[in-house]
Amino acid sequence: MKAQSSKFKVQSSILRYALVFAALIVALVPVYWAITISLKTESDQFSVPPLWFSFKPTLTHYRDAFLERGFGNYFLTSLIVSLSSTALALTLGTFTAYALARFRLRYKLGSRLSMWILSTRMFPPIVTAVPLFLLMRDLRLLDTSLALIITYTAFNLPFVVWMMRGFFLELPKELEEAAMMDGDSRLGALFRIILPLVTPGLAATAVFCLIISWNELLFALILSQTDNAMTLPVGIAGRVTQYEIKWGVMSAAGVAAMLPILIFAMSVQRYLVRGLSLGAVKG
Amino acid sequence: MSMFLSNKQERFLPYLLIAPTVAVLFTLSIYPLFYAIKTSFQTGDDLHFSLGNFTRLFSDGFFFSALAHTFVFASLALTLEFLIGLSLALLLDSKLRGKNVFRALLLVPMMLPPVVVGVIWRLMFNSDFGAINGTLKSFGFDTTNLTWLASSKLAFLSIIVVDVWQWTPFVFLILLAGLQAIPNEPYEAALIDGSSPWQTFKNITLPLLKPAILIALLLRTMDLLRVFDSIFILTEGGPGNATETISLYIYRTAFRFGDFGYATAMSFVLLILTNIISAMYIRFLQKQEKA
Repeated sequence: MKAQSSKFKVQSSILRYALVFAALIVALVPVYWAITISLKTESDQFSVPPLWFSFKPTLTHYRDAFLERGFGNYFLTSLIVSLSSTALALTLGTFTAYALARFRLRYKLGSRLSMWILSTRMFPPIVTAVPLFLLMRDLRLLDTSLALIITYTAFNLPFVVWMMRGFFLELPKELEEAAMMDGDSRLGALFRIILPLVTPGLAATAVFCLIISWNELLFALILSQTDNAMTLPVGIAGRVTQYEIKWGVMSAAGVAAMLPILIFAMSVQRYLVRGLSLGAVKG
Repeated sequence: MSMFLSNKQERFLPYLLIAPTVAVLFTLSIYPLFYAIKTSFQTGDDLHFSLGNFTRLFSDGFFFSALAHTFVFASLALTLEFLIGLSLALLLDSKLRGKNVFRALLLVPMMLPPVVVGVIWRLMFNSDFGAINGTLKSFGFDTTNLTWLASSKLAFLSIIVVDVWQWTPFVFLILLAGLQAIPNEPYEAALIDGSSPWQTFKNITLPLLKPAILIALLLRTMDLLRVFDSIFILTEGGPGNATETISLYIYRTAFRFGDFGYATAMSFVLLILTNIISAMYIRFLQKQEKA
């Protein structure tokens, strides 16, 4: 590389920036377009050529979606379901991950269980969806938030176990051993020494779980068909596939569904990238 | 460590910590699976054992076209996502000002709920007022034949475009992480040997990136084979069944026609397909753990 002339370097770096910008435009313009649709009056929405910048913004579609068409309720259901299932999966999964990372179990049970737990995550959702629907129907849990909370907890558990196991394995065993020498119990050492050290990892894992539950469509579609426990994705899907689409309401609901996730994901960027590569690459 | 192992609490604690997770996963993943096996051997309201659902598979044209759609969709999308993702990763692995901001922004599509992605692209693809045709029209192009989601061939192309748009960032992110984990020394050695950029890429980058490539491809393949959300929103499998993949056909069979037996029989075909991939992935992870 050092042998390259400086002129060539300048040219190639201009080319590189151009390519990156092209990629950015492709990635972001559709999102921007949908946001503008949610802010445009109906006549502006259907103008040809499309109005990219010069339109008079209005919040009517948001008011319409959230006050008139029930999206406020869907938003709340999504929030409750995502938060509860994340909390549950994180609690159960973190302890399991710690046990799998730190204890030497008989019959290679540790690594066998880890692999089994991971393999449950690999089932295509549609395969479990049909029997899960029948199970929830028999339990009379259809159209309740509880059914979704339970389902998402199970769905996120394998992920939590694998993420957290990776974070625990990174810490030296001597940390707890020293604390236990000083008279801490095993769980005391876990809470006092280890958990504070893996807080970034816990945060990243939580964010992943939140995103997964918040975005999930298939199970929600099958398990909640009435307004009782309809999540935001199901509400949007139901409206979109109806014959006539209200562009303003659709895009307003869409923006409301993506904003919390985007802000959350961006605010923990550093851990997110590390988390994904850790969870996937290192195992 | 041995002094702690003698402790009674130490012996039972791990099982106590693992048991709830195993119980939850057993109830909600393994039990449904066995339930599905039972259901797949029942046709209609007949509760007796029957192979009817499985023999029906072989004479079902919809099933075979759904299989074909899934494979064509998965292979085309995977190829594009890999090539574009790798190029972007190489691009951002070099010295570039503002590279962290670029990376964060490039990841946006991957973070969006698939349902929202479907909505966004329905707005983009609308043949009268969508951003694509609207822009083309303003440049004087004739767009009467560009009915994106309404004609079979274009609809199939559209669902590929949308998947590539959303999931290339995922491939990009994993490959970039892989690239950044490659140490500097082999590159310095190559520089001294005077190898060309292409030789360096072929002899150093690609081999060292192989684990990351494998992970990206396996995870994407698994997801592509079971794709549901974005196609459900974009076309619902239509027009006709032009974009109906296996997951969508199973969904239609179970929840539109109420034929749970046949739906579960089909879902086992999908399970076997994805299991081949996931077994490869898990074996790969096991190897990495030992290394």
